[in-house]
Amino acid sequence: MVYIVSWDEFVDRSVQLFKADPESTRYVVKYRHCDGKLVLKVTDNKECLKFKTDQAQEARKMEKLNNIFFTLMARGPDVDLSEVNGKEQMETQSVKKGSGRKQ
Amino acid sequence: MHRPPNKFSPPGGFRRADHQILYPLCDSREKKSLQCLTICKEYPSEVLLQLDPFLNELTSMFEKSKEKGSVWVTLKRSSLKSKLQKRKLSSAGESIEYRCLIRATDAKKTISTSVGAKDHLRFQASYATILKAHMTALKKRERKDRKKSTEAEKKEGTSTTTKPKKP
Repeated sequence: MVYIVSWDEFVDRSVQLFKADPESTRYVVKYRHCDGKLVLKVTDNKECLKFKTDQAQEARKMEKLNNIFFTLMARGPDVDLSEVNGKEQMETQSVKKGSGRKQ
Repeated sequence: MHRPPNKFSPPGGFRRADHQILYPLCDSREKKSLQCLTICKEYPSEVLLQLDPFLNELTSMFEKSKEKGSVWVTLKRSSLKSKLQKRKLSSAGESIEYRCLIRATDAKKTISTSVGAKDHLRFQASYATILKAHMTALKKRERKDRKKSTEAEKKEGTSTTTKPKKP
């Protein structure tokens, strides 16, 4: 399967995927306590992005991603993601579409 | 194309791994659709809950799956309306209200809830608490901390040697 190695790349691509097709994109989290493994998947039924880990640190990053997706899905894909904690840093770093805000 | 009956499959029929026998009417397409029907019947129906009962059930799912098994949580944007209702709403000029559909399963049962824009912050916080409390089997980054400290030492060592000479 398409496992992405870089966390930031996974987040960027999955948000892009969602914004491109909010109707069919879903975010799946699978956790196995017995194996101590966490797998994240974002797919729009055409393209699939996956990320797997066994690190507690990545679980904390996943919580931030959860917040991002909750906001996107509940409020809509056009919502300003700078409200979500931690996303603002990534947005200004990777996607330089910001209107020259705090840097 | 029908396979000749043998001791593993009943005549004219098809025995699945779980001993469910399907009798296809004509071709393999029918067989596939019959298989799908029986699969859907076997999985218990999804239970739509309110936010707090959902969180309680999710907690118990995590607790049950500690020895073995997985817990899947799926997030999807949905308006919870059929295509027909959507068409009616858009033709009437009304905006369709979207919610975040959250499903959780441990392969035995599935629970779900839907979160709107108003409740999503509260749900987000409770959900994060549950995850933090249960995802304890993941490794903590001890090795990489050691690596970082050794890398830092190395960097200090090289920086003193590779300082450029000022003219």
